[in-house]
Amino acid sequence: METIINKYQDQVYHFKGLWDIPSICGLKIVNKKENTIVIATDLFEENPGTSITEWNTKLAKELCDKFEIDYRKLIYIEHTPDKKTKLSFNLESFYKVNFQILNDKFENPKWEEMSKEEVNNLITE
Amino acid sequence: MKFQLVFPKWRKLEGQTTFNLPPHGAIVFAATIPDYVEVEFIDENLEEMRFDDDVDFVGISMLLTTQVKRGWAIADEYRKRGKKVIFGGISTMLHAEETMLHADAVFLGEAEGHMEQVFKDFRNGELKKVYNHMNDLPPIEIVGPARRELYKRDLYYHKGVQMVDLFHASRGCKYSCYPCAVSYLGGRQFRPRPIDKVVEDLATIDNNRLFIVDNSLAQDTQWEKDLFKAMIPFKKKWMSHTIEDKPEVLDLAAQAGAWYVYQAVFDTSDYIKERVKRYHDYGIGVEGTILLGLDNQTEDDIKRLVDFLLEIDLDLAEFTVLAPFPHTKAYSDLIKQDRIFNKNWDDYNAGQVVYHPKHMTAERLQEMYQYAWDTFYKDETQEEKMFKLLKSVVSREVEDGTFRKRRQDLSKTSFGKDVKHKIA
Repeated sequence: METIINKYQDQVYHFKGLWDIPSICGLKIVNKKENTIVIATDLFEENPGTSITEWNTKLAKELCDKFEIDYRKLIYIEHTPDKKTKLSFNLESFYKVNFQILNDKFENPKWEEMSKEEVNNLITE
Repeated sequence: MKFQLVFPKWRKLEGQTTFNLPPHGAIVFAATIPDYVEVEFIDENLEEMRFDDDVDFVGISMLLTTQVKRGWAIADEYRKRGKKVIFGGISTMLHAEETMLHADAVFLGEAEGHMEQVFKDFRNGELKKVYNHMNDLPPIEIVGPARRELYKRDLYYHKGVQMVDLFHASRGCKYSCYPCAVSYLGGRQFRPRPIDKVVEDLATIDNNRLFIVDNSLAQDTQWEKDLFKAMIPFKKKWMSHTIEDKPEVLDLAAQAGAWYVYQAVFDTSDYIKERVKRYHDYGIGVEGTILLGLDNQTEDDIKRLVDFLLEIDLDLAEFTVLAPFPHTKAYSDLIKQDRIFNKNWDDYNAGQVVYHPKHMTAERLQEMYQYAWDTFYKDETQEEKMFKLLKSVVSREVEDGTFRKRRQDLSKTSFGKDVKHKIA
């Protein structure tokens, strides 16, 4: 398996997805004074299991618990890399996901598209 | 023990020719059931339900998203009568959590090697709510011949002409296409069946015409060639999804009885035009499958695409609109963008727009879908084009001595029902 480590991905993270299927995503965590930015990257064909979008409420919670991220400071971003096709729906995209956190559970995800520049500014500023 | 295996009906698309093909997944599943179980199969598309039959256990096999609500309603009826119900099949996996609300058990994954345990649990009153084998696919070698004797064969005739039998030579797909859920269904790896197993299965099929339902045969050239070589002696004629268009593959496919293949047409490129021509050069027909409503399509693109289809001499075309089935990238993208406005699974039939397209309104896409069908079949109807394809296969069958005459005793029925003659 060839997984590219890039600007938005420092490691490949393994998690149990839907029906406990072994799943993977790219992961980058950037700690800032005010907040912690988590970028989860969809690895498409390399991922044998559940997509980050389908599993985001569970995955975001798991990442917060595992890496001791304060929920209140979390900025959670879903990244889908460019699949290098001619089709527009395979282009790179970034979505900030806002969760409702109720009783220690992440619920009701709402997505907000971000530009690459916005993401770059966020992780470098 | 009596097990009633049900394939629920669904609402057919309006204005299109409907053919009821014998369901495949259910009888492949049936082959995994222990020998001591007596299985009866009901295809609700062609038969009435019999909720009060004296059966011990009920299985509901669901293939399509547009089938699930009916499957759930059927389960509710059986369970009201105290019968235990287990669900399985592709759309059970796509809609597992919702299905659990109507089930005593759901089976997720491929059934081979697991049914002894399920039926043992049933007999011991220890049926589990979920049999999760999504991550535990069986070795492809143990997939045996489907139980075709369970079909009520006479139902699958239209005016005396037998419908094709469905057949599979492989599972999985190494591609992960935008609207497709195969990768979620455990299919990221192409798993070809050993050729001797394919031959064993083929030998059980008393039908000279087949539909090879594999996602794509174009995934391993050597296996594909071996498959076609092994099929030649059977002299069956068949349709399938994509096959490779290399000359040596097409030559073997033609010898093996390739009748026509489905070809996705997603743009107006020379690549598609030449590919269609290559199939035709080997006497293989082409049915274009055209998905409308993708984010890169404008109204003008759709119009240009339809004009192109008419230019490239396709034998048939099937238009669909994008249906964002759960567990696909299409679904994820549209959910993120809050563009899905209809979550009634009955409407996920690939003929009804359930989301806001990018470059037009949902209503306009619905009109463009109709425009595509109407324009492509303006000069020659779908029935006329189908008849041409049928004629081509009949000629080949007559030549090689495999032609079967129309069954006279069923010439006035269509899928088990009397044909009504219009009186002028």
